[in-house]
Amino acid sequence: MSWFTFSFDDFAFSFLSVLLEGVPFLLLGALISGLVDVFVSAERMQRMLPKNNAAAIGVSGLLGLIFPMCECGSVIVIRRFLKKGLPLSSAVSYMLAAPIVSPLVALSTFAAFKGQSPWIMTSLRLSLGYLIAIGVGFIVHRLPVAAVLRPDLAGRKRAGLSFSSTPDEQAPPPDFATLAAAASFPKKLLLAVQSATADFLDVAFYLIIGTAAASVFNTAVNQEVILPLATNPLPAILAMMGLAALLAVCSTTDAFIAASFSTFSYASKLAFLLFGPVFDLKLLWLYGILFRRRFVACLAVGLFIVIALVCWRIDSLKLDETRPLAAPAISRTLSPP
Amino acid sequence: MNKLFSRWLPCATLAAWSAILLHFYFSGRVTAFLIPTFRPYVLSAGCVLAAMALIFLLFPADANCCSTAECGHGLSRLTLGKILTFLVLLLPVTAAAMFSQDSFGKNAILNRGIITDASGLRPPSTNKDTPRTAPDLALPTSDPAAPAPVAATQPPAALQDYLTRTPDGKIVTEVLDLLYAAQDNALRGDFENKAVVLYGQLMPDTANNASGKRFKAVRMFMTCCAADARPVATLVEADTLPKLPEMTWIKVTGIATFPIENGRRISVLKAERVEKTDPPDETMLF
Repeated sequence: MSWFTFSFDDFAFSFLSVLLEGVPFLLLGALISGLVDVFVSAERMQRMLPKNNAAAIGVSGLLGLIFPMCECGSVIVIRRFLKKGLPLSSAVSYMLAAPIVSPLVALSTFAAFKGQSPWIMTSLRLSLGYLIAIGVGFIVHRLPVAAVLRPDLAGRKRAGLSFSSTPDEQAPPPDFATLAAAASFPKKLLLAVQSATADFLDVAFYLIIGTAAASVFNTAVNQEVILPLATNPLPAILAMMGLAALLAVCSTTDAFIAASFSTFSYASKLAFLLFGPVFDLKLLWLYGILFRRRFVACLAVGLFIVIALVCWRIDSLKLDETRPLAAPAISRTLSPP
Repeated sequence: MNKLFSRWLPCATLAAWSAILLHFYFSGRVTAFLIPTFRPYVLSAGCVLAAMALIFLLFPADANCCSTAECGHGLSRLTLGKILTFLVLLLPVTAAAMFSQDSFGKNAILNRGIITDASGLRPPSTNKDTPRTAPDLALPTSDPAAPAPVAATQPPAALQDYLTRTPDGKIVTEVLDLLYAAQDNALRGDFENKAVVLYGQLMPDTANNASGKRFKAVRMFMTCCAADARPVATLVEADTLPKLPEMTWIKVTGIATFPIENGRRISVLKAERVEKTDPPDETMLF
């Protein structure tokens, strides 16, 4: 059987299922973004985090525990927070940590790895996910904002929504913050919904492209091609990370998929669970809303290398005592045509 | 032209997405795509999107999308780019919704690799030494193709609590039950050498089929959505292989056995009868 067999029916089924699962959360993120846009001033936003940069980055990485958000939703929320003046380093820390450091992810990881040292896997996933996220936050803190953010965001321009309440289309749009501050409560709600609408359409565009790309790989690529790599530590880790990037599964469910690869080492499953939530095909497009292409590329390569090395080191600690010795659970059922 | 992009197309996009989500929910198509927990979210999102479309329609003066150079869409600077943006927002979703078969075909199942033991799945929640009870076992009972549960003629007392049975006393089981039973002594006792009825999709077996009398009954097992679904299968052994196309939905009646082959215990359903059947309403296991 070929390593790649595309079927439109399979693609459409997978594509729609990801969208049906993801759109409600994207919408939730857009609504939160809209409410933040109208009701939270830039000054209040800056008062909410510690003054000390290091503490702010550390706290931001933990916000997912009380403000859980999947990777799709976190991008849209972060974009709004950035426009409100949240420090870039804190925003990046939250964005990378929230899909991992969250109660939902902890519970699903624990459930998926029952019988495979669930405490160790859950602890490692959350703690390493947090450390990597704030590590990137500290690096970003040292970089010029213009080297990281897209020009429209770095310049604090609005994105996704503009105003043309004046009949003259050539007139400059009114300042949103001023308009929102002066508006009555019902008017503010209306503005929030309109802001959310624009955000939703903005991000949905990239979600569709990313989901389409991921769905091609999710259905067309023969996942058994990576099975021969399972016996070598580093190739197994790299293969599982590559698979996580291609499958682009939500971080609340990916543990069940990782756990099903019973011939792969504990560390390679951990690599799957650390890399997938912070970088995959879908996120490649979504990150493009926020960051410069060069930064997205550096982020991908950097995360890939760091997570691979960390998991390789963990593999050498032989934490995978529960690694099954039985025959592979996944078996090919048909001979090549 | 500007109004087209600032008002009508965003409104049409939101309305189309809302219609698709609500259609999937109310037509029941959503059952093939998501586990029950996530289905109400589709309804909620459909309603919210409809409301947003309405607001965008009724209050166009306040907000516009894709109307100026400040719009976040990367393609919005040019008219062609704006058109392309809305085509991306509308066409793939609409086309997929219209043409999706709401199930995976053979290629996707083979590409994902068929799981034939439960070691990589969510493990049973009880201690192996403890007899399983109804809530622990969580046998899927949503299959409408299965006959209505009735009390068996003389079932063992411990089984009366939770096992679904056909009118003639056969246990209505799922692929997952047999896979778990192969690894769980207590559970295996509930099924081993008992008459069972099982529903699945027919697939050939080449891995454990020296006699040439075996095939697989496959179901998709999803955690959240169809994209994360994994095919799970139990082996079925019959005197003659059914003359049905691959992926046909079948009802297998037979005796559950759990032999040890190649050093591991597997589930093999010795079929007495294999017949074509309609797909169940819940085609996915979860």
